[in-house]
Amino acid sequence: MDFDVIVVGAGIAGCVTAYRLAKAGHSVVVVERGAEVGAKNLSGGVLYCRVMDKVFPGFADQAPVERRITRNYLGFLNPDSLVGIDYHDDRLGKPVNAVSVLRAKLDPWLAEQAEAAGAVVMPGFKVDSLLSEGGKFTGIKAGDDELTAHVVVLADGINSFLARDAGLRTKEPLKHLAVGVKSVIGLPRQTIEDRFGLAGDQGAAYAIVGDCTAGAGGGGFLYTNQESISIGVVVRLDDLVGKGLSSSELHDRFVLHPQIQPLLAGGELLEYGCHLVAEGGKAMVHDLARPGLVVVGDAAGLTLNTGLTVRGMDLAAASGIAAADAIDDALQDGNFGQAAMDGYVARLDQSFAGKDMATYAKAPAFLENPRLFNDYGPLLANVLRGFYNLDGAPREHIIPVFRAALKESGLGITRLARDGLAGVKAL
Amino acid sequence: MKVVALYKWARDPEAATVRAGGVVDWGNAKMVAGDDDHAVIEVAKTLAEGGELVGLTLGDGDAAWAVARGVDVAYSVADAPYLADEATTAAIMAAAVKHIGGVDVVVIGDAEQQHPAVPGLLAGLLGWPALSAVGSASADGAKVTVERKVVGNIQTVSAGTPVVLGVAAAGEEAKPPGMMQMLQARKKPVTTLSLADLGVAADQGVTSAGTALPELEGAKMLEGSPAEVAAALVAALRSDGVL
Repeated sequence: MDFDVIVVGAGIAGCVTAYRLAKAGHSVVVVERGAEVGAKNLSGGVLYCRVMDKVFPGFADQAPVERRITRNYLGFLNPDSLVGIDYHDDRLGKPVNAVSVLRAKLDPWLAEQAEAAGAVVMPGFKVDSLLSEGGKFTGIKAGDDELTAHVVVLADGINSFLARDAGLRTKEPLKHLAVGVKSVIGLPRQTIEDRFGLAGDQGAAYAIVGDCTAGAGGGGFLYTNQESISIGVVVRLDDLVGKGLSSSELHDRFVLHPQIQPLLAGGELLEYGCHLVAEGGKAMVHDLARPGLVVVGDAAGLTLNTGLTVRGMDLAAASGIAAADAIDDALQDGNFGQAAMDGYVARLDQSFAGKDMATYAKAPAFLENPRLFNDYGPLLANVLRGFYNLDGAPREHIIPVFRAALKESGLGITRLARDGLAGVKAL
Repeated sequence: MKVVALYKWARDPEAATVRAGGVVDWGNAKMVAGDDDHAVIEVAKTLAEGGELVGLTLGDGDAAWAVARGVDVAYSVADAPYLADEATTAAIMAAAVKHIGGVDVVVIGDAEQQHPAVPGLLAGLLGWPALSAVGSASADGAKVTVERKVVGNIQTVSAGTPVVLGVAAAGEEAKPPGMMQMLQARKKPVTTLSLADLGVAADQGVTSAGTALPELEGAKMLEGSPAEVAAALVAALRSDGVL
């Protein structure tokens, strides 16, 4: 054996797995396709970081994070209005619950921690295939070179061709996938703090539905970094194809929307990129273990969009912890069969990540509801307009105002009640 | 022959972006070897066949990069800073080459825009002849024969040793080392030299005052009928001395 463990992919899941195993004294190599760690990795940018404290105590103080999210904004965007819930709570920063991150900074730091713990990190090499012998996975092949190990960890991202080749997953249906298009807009620190009502290292996270995706399933996001803003859209692929929309045009539509553009005014475009996003929730999590092989992070389908929060990085870290603990046990027992590798799945299911995937299993179906992206925004705006637009006509009671707005929306009270109930059940 | 391959290890200029106002933003630019350096090692390896191939760099660059490409012994002048002053840079290199000792040929990249004078200065400080724009080289006893590009022609030149060869890469590296070569290279030790060991100072008396964009005139928008616009354009080009 060349190594105890080979990790394919130096994202969050891969680095956490490698760090913990190296720290436990095992020989670990991380093979990364990008020319440097973090080069190919892209996230919207909010990391719910409590899980990281388990791996790196005091994570938010030592890792290169951007801002501590204390303000969450949930908005319905219409062509000429924006209705939102603005939740600003200092308690979210004590202890730190969520941070905005830029992966080009965070991932190299994570890889450095793994290296300092004794792992070998090899960027610039694409793993072409897996090696197996007698039903057990035994290593990897990259170019002409082969490397062997007791266990291979696939942390190779949402497309994980290796997991597909290993027969662990098939091609995902389009409705399980979304495409995210993101810009990073540079602005002075003080401008960001003034515009978003933030102090010091506080940060804001916006989740927006409606006109930003022209009614297609998905939404817009905006996260404040120290001296930049991450902004973009995530749109479900089936809806994008069905409606004949272009994801980059939707991105431009969002950033140029009259309600959004002032937040970015005077900024300088620093980065622009796109990435596939898993949206299938629990239904997308497939077989995750084979003899000598486990799958973690995005490759395992571990992402969760509840509408309020979009999570992937924290689940990736949780899967890395579960995988490292199970592999540590397996290395001590010298047993790498199916039962030993299933220890990872059991640990993952018992973790908050596994439990949350189960809790929010209905969220993807709820978020497929087209009314969420088309109808509720205008309805809310019309109800509020009924109150605030004092046009000289005598005011009506809330019930008739609401009824009139509902009638205009064509939704009907039963449909509204049903969607409301579905929303409560999904969350 | 004992051949020193001198390679540059610096932030990847392709990763740098020029921000508004002309400030260079290096972001998270990784450290890379110079564009010519894979060709430097290739030429040095050919000359060192049967002898010794020594890798040398300034700063704490990744010696595995050179070792994986065939360097037998790796040296670095770890505390040498990145200097704007080419004479001091060349002086540090010359001191390191003398320290290594018994060197027949020094091979160094010479198409780098940032320090075009270094190969010539290095040869001058060593008191050796220098050949630039070398594409390939072969050893013939105590002599080297090189092919180099001179005003569009390929010139073949023989030179005795010791000699400094400036090499220009013809293109991208044909076959970068594989994963196993890199893994093994990482295990090889690097001999670290300091400026004090070499008895040179890096005090250059040259400081950079920062970067700025060259002054540009704003674009002019010509309006009117096509005939008016065309006439105005021709007049503007005339007055700017373009026509």
